[in-house]
Amino acid sequence: MTQARVLDVSSLPPYEISNRSPLWAGQLLMCMIEGALFVILIATYFYLRLGVDVWPPPGTRIPGTLIPTLALIPLIASCVGSWIADEGAKSNSRGKMLWGSAINLAMAGVFLALRAVEWAGLNFRWNTDAHGSIVWDMLFLHTYDVVADLLVTAVLLAIVAIGRDGPKQRIGVHVDSVLWYFLVAIWIPMYVIIYWGPRLVGAGR
Amino acid sequence: MNAFPLLLVSQSALEPGGTNASRILTLGEGMVFLLGIIFVAVMIMAVIPLMRRHRGIEQEPLERTHQPSEATERKLAIVVGSAAGATVVILLGLVAVSVVVGKSISTAGMPSHALTIEVTGNQWWWNVRYMNDDASKIIVTANELHIPVGRPVVIRGMSNDVIHSFWIPGLQGKRDLIPSRVNTEWIQADRPGNFRGQCAEFCGLQHAHMAMWVVAEPEDKFDAWFAHQGQDAVPPATEELQRGQQVFLNSACILCHHIQGTEAAGQVAPDLTHFGSRMTIAAGTLQNNKGNLAGWIADPQGIKPGTKMATVPVKSEDMQPLIDYLESLQ
Amino acid sequence: MSAVLTEIPRETKTADRDALSRVWRPRPGFTGWLSVTTHQQIGLRYIKTAFFFLLLGGVEALLMRLQLAFPNNTLLGPFRYNQIFTMHGTTMMFLFAVPMMEGVGVCLVPLMVGTRNVAFPRLNAFGYWMYLMGGIFFYSGVFTGSVTAAGWFAYTPLSGPQYSVGKGVDYWAQMITFTEISALCVAVELIVTILRMRAPGMSLNRLPLFCWSMLVQSAMIIFAMPAIVMASNFFLLNDRTIGTHLANPAEGGDPILYQHIFWFFGHPEVYIIFLPALGMVSMILEANTRRGIFGYPAVVLSLVGNGFVAFGLWVHHMFATGLPQLGEAYFTAASMMIAITSGVQIFCWIATIWTGRLRMTAAMHFVFGFLFIFVLGGMTGVMLASIPLDLQAHDTYFVVAHFHYVLIGGALFPLFGAFHHWFSKFTGRMIDERLGRISFWILFVGFNLTFFPMHLAGVNGMPRRVYTYPPEMGWQTDNLLSSIGALMIAIGGAVFIANALKSLRAGRVADADPWDSSTLEWAVPSPPPAWNFDNLPVVSSRYPLWIDPEERACVVGMRDDRREVLTTTVLDAAPHHRYVLPASSIWPFLTAVGLTIGLICAVFAFSGYWLASLLGLIGFIGWFWPPRHVEVEP
Repeated sequence: MTQARVLDVSSLPPYEISNRSPLWAGQLLMCMIEGALFVILIATYFYLRLGVDVWPPPGTRIPGTLIPTLALIPLIASCVGSWIADEGAKSNSRGKMLWGSAINLAMAGVFLALRAVEWAGLNFRWNTDAHGSIVWDMLFLHTYDVVADLLVTAVLLAIVAIGRDGPKQRIGVHVDSVLWYFLVAIWIPMYVIIYWGPRLVGAGR
Repeated sequence: MNAFPLLLVSQSALEPGGTNASRILTLGEGMVFLLGIIFVAVMIMAVIPLMRRHRGIEQEPLERTHQPSEATERKLAIVVGSAAGATVVILLGLVAVSVVVGKSISTAGMPSHALTIEVTGNQWWWNVRYMNDDASKIIVTANELHIPVGRPVVIRGMSNDVIHSFWIPGLQGKRDLIPSRVNTEWIQADRPGNFRGQCAEFCGLQHAHMAMWVVAEPEDKFDAWFAHQGQDAVPPATEELQRGQQVFLNSACILCHHIQGTEAAGQVAPDLTHFGSRMTIAAGTLQNNKGNLAGWIADPQGIKPGTKMATVPVKSEDMQPLIDYLESLQ
Repeated sequence: MSAVLTEIPRETKTADRDALSRVWRPRPGFTGWLSVTTHQQIGLRYIKTAFFFLLLGGVEALLMRLQLAFPNNTLLGPFRYNQIFTMHGTTMMFLFAVPMMEGVGVCLVPLMVGTRNVAFPRLNAFGYWMYLMGGIFFYSGVFTGSVTAAGWFAYTPLSGPQYSVGKGVDYWAQMITFTEISALCVAVELIVTILRMRAPGMSLNRLPLFCWSMLVQSAMIIFAMPAIVMASNFFLLNDRTIGTHLANPAEGGDPILYQHIFWFFGHPEVYIIFLPALGMVSMILEANTRRGIFGYPAVVLSLVGNGFVAFGLWVHHMFATGLPQLGEAYFTAASMMIAITSGVQIFCWIATIWTGRLRMTAAMHFVFGFLFIFVLGGMTGVMLASIPLDLQAHDTYFVVAHFHYVLIGGALFPLFGAFHHWFSKFTGRMIDERLGRISFWILFVGFNLTFFPMHLAGVNGMPRRVYTYPPEMGWQTDNLLSSIGALMIAIGGAVFIANALKSLRAGRVADADPWDSSTLEWAVPSPPPAWNFDNLPVVSSRYPLWIDPEERACVVGMRDDRREVLTTTVLDAAPHHRYVLPASSIWPFLTAVGLTIGLICAVFAFSGYWLASLLGLIGFIGWFWPPRHVEVEP
């Protein structure tokens, strides 16, 4: 045959800023990995809790609910910033990307500040006992991830600010929002378990 | 003192002397037989195509498509489907049988008992306590248990340090000894005999030398042994033995070891009250005789490197009386 | 805007090879070597490094067998022996088996799905550097006196701060951080490659079975690795270095919890090792029986089922710990049921062999060896699933026999087969078939001689992890046979290595498809160019290469002046958009160096994690910092 059958893809776009981008799929998998780790931490929490009669152990105060509940406000507000930045990435609007990331960072900062205040008031440490270890493990890992994403968002903000926001960088902004939504979402069940669980269920004091 | 044969010592699950080990062996033999047949059948099926007479896809006229005919594929589907179905049925049967046998060897399947023995694992020896509601009647020994033939015995297992595992293959499956937990299982000997066991959970340097003996004896012999174990240590009868006792009581040995009826009240090493009546030294490592005992005391690290037993210096003129004394503690 | 199948004159379709080779060649020099991001190079690095660790682990095994050849032997004392068996297990599981499978996957998957590289080339490079540095760090403990002697599974409290003094266990725990990061990187990129970068027309029901096995395996890694992070970092490393109490019963912790979490990872881990081997067997059989594997849907379902059920078995490692009976019974059922998923594949393979036209290459010998050894190991596995039997056999040489049968039979023999089968593809030379068959027989006989007697030693009462045993136990014949067998395995390995080296230098030059195979990797020259395909293929069958070359379509319209691939839809692989991959970059290497420094410091002080984070952040910035010109032309 002198003719060959071909598929001409030259009309296809050379990038895609949506959940069809490979980077988005990769980020989703990263969230699943981290999510699995959080689920194991939660399972460990319940295993340790079910092994004793009194929880938290004597001498440990249940962490207060006021500050963590207040902190939910900036946390959820920060998602709005992510959403705006995400819209900016998809519509190629530098303004939206800058403002959205800035709002996200500011609200995340407030959240972390509140968390720092809360931590100063806890009367147990990770080396106090197993309860202290698992609660601090959960708080620490979540906070570490939040700070890491905050830094990633800051770098993306800088990149957009100096004008180097091409399609690949905008895919990055789009995908970063996925990570942020995940970190907010995974906090909700942990918040309930750590602060309300001992109060609502079982032999908490 | 029971002498054990220097010939082959059995620590084998294939030579059961107890109820539970026998049940396990029967199940095991059945499974080996069944699974062995299945294995041979599968291997034969895999190997037949290698024979020259077998021509496979060449018999099909449709080789170019790299697929046999529909009819052949359908036949294969029936065969593979049936094999898969048979596998499911066989496995379900094996699950059921295993659960039934498992129940019979667990404490749920235990006849009513009269004897409870607490075994505590340490690095690298076994503390043995015959329980009694009257605390003053608890009998303490180490590395060797005696049990009456034909009566169930509950073993309450614990650990003072890392995870160990109590395992007497001739009598029962193993049970891990876990710090801060109590694990129970029951054993019952069907015939008299000496059953050797070994720690079966890696517990550090001398895991390989943490063995124990279970001596199953007829009821009357057991009762005699038991009664004697409850008594204080045999007082030294001769001057030589008294000297030996003095050597012991003046040395660091008393910091770790306990001899009932003397001032030696250490709690962190094997109880020596009736040491002379035991078959082995150092948790089954050495046969219990005077020569081995001298070697053990003189250089524990040489025999069991890493052992927690201190090397207590004993003057050469003191060694013989000391050994004679300890062996006199029947 | 969509792509349409048309016809054009044949001569106009070929891509510009000069342009492709300019774009895809690595940068020169040592920095170029550090900056490689092409999948073949990185995959081969994984394979070579993993093979080196296989040899190390083998030496450790030989030392163990020499010590155990005679009762009361004094070649190795207890401390040294305990270190060596710990290193043997750790090296084989973490530094050889998983990385080797990853390496084969990284080499083969992009070729088999018809694309040019993995989805995240720099992540691929980063994962390899982390693996290499983790392995080097772990073995550096030999020179600093920090070698763990707590077993490859490091049960607490033995591995805890009180009973394992020194940094050995800490080195072990942190090495796992390195290898688990590496495995996760490969898992993420292979999943995205398989689901989003397949050749147009390669719908999921046309995906080669090896790619299915890598897909399932990668998904398993995603969910299993976090558990070992938890066990090694949160339980062990933190308990040992910053005083947490997760495994400390005195303060509310639980050593059994460590076992649950470790085995929740540990059991899927062996299937993570095993599944790619199943995929390799399918591919080798397909090529050498000249027919498609019988029962493709059943095999795929079995692979997927295997992946799921593997997560429900872990307690069968803990039957002796005194857990409630009813719960344990469930695990007996699950552990036996997984024999079905493996069994269905074996039945399908036998059906394929029955109706195929066999060509008994060296690779096929290893496949038959796999069938024998693995099925036997599967039988002892069914026995171990039965709690009464397990309570006798657990922690004895019976288990050692079982898992070597399933791991060596189930993973290593297929790997040898894969090596002989794909050797020509990646080196351009045919491996010597006769030497390959000879090495097979030595390995097969040696393996059975080594490990079959261990079944008997185990049921006759020989526990695991013992540095010696008394002569009166009756175990010495079994042990001597095992040690002789081990020497045979070493000889077989040496013949294999000699074969590889000889064939590399003097083997017959190979063409693209010496086996008349079915899958896309055989459509490109041997070895393939760095860009794999001149024109990306279009696929219309499960067996693309069994379609007449005249009938095969290909892709045109991609740019060849940059590293460009095609993304397609998940289910039907319809073309979606073009995707520009990064070129070479030194940042994956630099990021790995930064993390390595930080993670090693963290073994000694928790603040090391801050250093790791800082250096990681710097690496991330370098990695993603955009060049001046950011627009992407169509």
